Amino acid sequence: MIIFKRVLLLVLALLITVSSALAVKIEISAPGEQQIPLAITSFVPMGQIQPEIATEINAVLDADLSLSGLFSMVDRASYLSDAETLGLNSVQVDFTQWKLLGAEAVVKGGYRIEDGKLIIEARLFDVISRRMLTGRRYIGKPEEVRRIAHTFADQVMHSLTGEKGPFSSRIAYVSNRTGKKELYLMEVDGHAPIRLTNHRSIVLNPDFSPVGKELIFTSYKNRNPDLHRKEIYTGREARVSHRTGLNIGGRFSPNGREIAVTLSKDKNSELYLIGTDGTIHRRLTNHWGIDVDPSWSPAADKIAFVSDRRGNPHVYIVDVDSLEVNRLTFDGKYNATPAWSPDGERIAFSRLEDKRFDIYTINPDGTDERRLTFGPGNKEHPRWSPDSRFLVYSLDRDGEKSIYVMRADGTGNRRISAPGGDDSHPAWSGRW
Amino acid sequence: MKLPKKQSWRQLHSRLEPGFKRMLWLSVAIHFLFPILYTGLLHFTPEKAKPPVYRVNLVNKPVKNPQAGRPEASPKQETKTVKKAKPKPVVRPTPKPKPVVKPKPKPSPKPEPKSKPVVKPTPKPKPEPTISKADEQSFDQKMAELRRQQEREDRLAALRAELERERRKVVSPVEDAPVGEITGKGDQEGIAYASYVKEFITERWRLSKYQLPSLNLEAEWKLIYNAQGKLIHKKVISKSGNKAFDDSLLTAIMKSQNLGRELEEQTEFEVTFNLREMQN
Repeated sequence: MIIFKRVLLLVLALLITVSSALAVKIEISAPGEQQIPLAITSFVPMGQIQPEIATEINAVLDADLSLSGLFSMVDRASYLSDAETLGLNSVQVDFTQWKLLGAEAVVKGGYRIEDGKLIIEARLFDVISRRMLTGRRYIGKPEEVRRIAHTFADQVMHSLTGEKGPFSSRIAYVSNRTGKKELYLMEVDGHAPIRLTNHRSIVLNPDFSPVGKELIFTSYKNRNPDLHRKEIYTGREARVSHRTGLNIGGRFSPNGREIAVTLSKDKNSELYLIGTDGTIHRRLTNHWGIDVDPSWSPAADKIAFVSDRRGNPHVYIVDVDSLEVNRLTFDGKYNATPAWSPDGERIAFSRLEDKRFDIYTINPDGTDERRLTFGPGNKEHPRWSPDSRFLVYSLDRDGEKSIYVMRADGTGNRRISAPGGDDSHPAWSGRW
Repeated sequence: MKLPKKQSWRQLHSRLEPGFKRMLWLSVAIHFLFPILYTGLLHFTPEKAKPPVYRVNLVNKPVKNPQAGRPEASPKQETKTVKKAKPKPVVRPTPKPKPVVKPKPKPSPKPEPKSKPVVKPTPKPKPEPTISKADEQSFDQKMAELRRQQEREDRLAALRAELERERRKVVSPVEDAPVGEITGKGDQEGIAYASYVKEFITERWRLSKYQLPSLNLEAEWKLIYNAQGKLIHKKVISKSGNKAFDDSLLTAIMKSQNLGRELEEQTEFEVTFNLREMQN
């Protein structure tokens, strides 16, 4: 009996092997299409008709989701009758119509104002599987339409990629549109810019705190480049470091408890770790060269910075524990403003080549260096979005500096800051 | 006298260690054997057959003036050596020109046959006095016409051959592409079903690189299509672990449920999905 069982098992195993060997093997090494055809329907009123709300929602969703690079937008002119229906659940959606148009995902939704509050229902459907991928109800003030739309765009990104988008975050930057360099804050698409400082001096190098809605920046308000901090909502401001000489390039550590900063209190610019109260915790570099522009690795164990210790300014990495310094870049005459991506995969920096600064990225081990920007104008001060998918930078072209965003591979560049002043030194906030 | 000798021998024998005698004989034998082996066996070489003697006249590469610079050499000798040296080095390089020489006469007669009919009839009109000038002219005209016709036919035949060659020549951008594919070479042996299915699924697979944290993803599916081209069974063999990637595959497979054409028979496909082409 045992022998019979063994033979049976053997025969079965043999059959499985033979059948798998007979299967036709195919390898598909790239998708046929690298963008998902998406239809964004006009949001339908669920009460009083207020077309400006629908227009605003659609404009924000369109801009955000097209910047993502994930989608190809289905032409609105081709929409059929289902685009005019609310369709908040999959049963109410005529997927056949959308399939006919070649759409694979559909955004539908509605809005109403109830007791002075804006209620927005938004849905994302998968046309192929005929199911809802994500659905949210948002309640807010009527003037928060854009914020709600940005939040839903983040949600769409989350449902399709597993990680939220950065569209509801903020970008801080320095602008001289009042005649003096002041600190400003705007939405990711450049809307709703607000001035945060009134130092009537020079403000530089803002950086967001990873915890709380707070910024640090350098200001010449007291005729010395001192490090300041500012709470965005309360407007409270304080000097963190006001030592003689430079107090510049402050960058919060990933846990927000320390700040890496360049101090020149001992005549030479060196990197230091200071507490949020301004006390010096540690000196990170000790070299006759100028060490500036620190940027933390997400694991907080390393800091990328710029030094001219070997002649030309290049990007170096210092180990926070051992203080061992390793050189990262070797090409170019001038490498500046490194920014470590939040996912730790890449370091962005600007490099002077052919009399022009351009944005580059490189692996932290010094491999796979890639140039992201081309064309006229200096592109400087790159900073990453919190999801590491996008970069913000300043572009000096035609005599005007402005803020641009692009995807991490250098595609999809678009200007976000309004004309009418020199805008520079952008900093992308964390999740807002 | 005898006894003491025997006794002394026995005494000597008893004093020797057991086996000494054997060792002694062995040693003697080796001592004899070694010179025999050395002189006889090792140095034994069978008589070699006398190698044939070749007399070779070694000559230098022919040079214009090999004896130049030698005061004792007379110019006459120089010319002699040059003459002697010539035949041998020429032996090898000359074969090349030789075959060139042979075919030369061959092609020349070939075109002649075409003109032969022209040449042959020439003796015929020898009995000139019997043929009138008008006849001769008409004959010449006919011959010229025949020649032109022949030339036209030859040209047409050459063009036809060229056309046939061109028709047979399949230009494929893919080297050694399998028969049956658009890019394939050679005669059609059947339809490449695997290629069709691959193309069909690829067209329906949509995925953006911006959806993925890494492009180093791979998943494997088992798909069974019946003879009518309908998906009757699908199974994940291995997942990539990335939701967006795996979901996109499911969507692509759902969109590929009907191939829109028949297969030869019910077929099982093991499809490996990865992003190798995007990794650059």
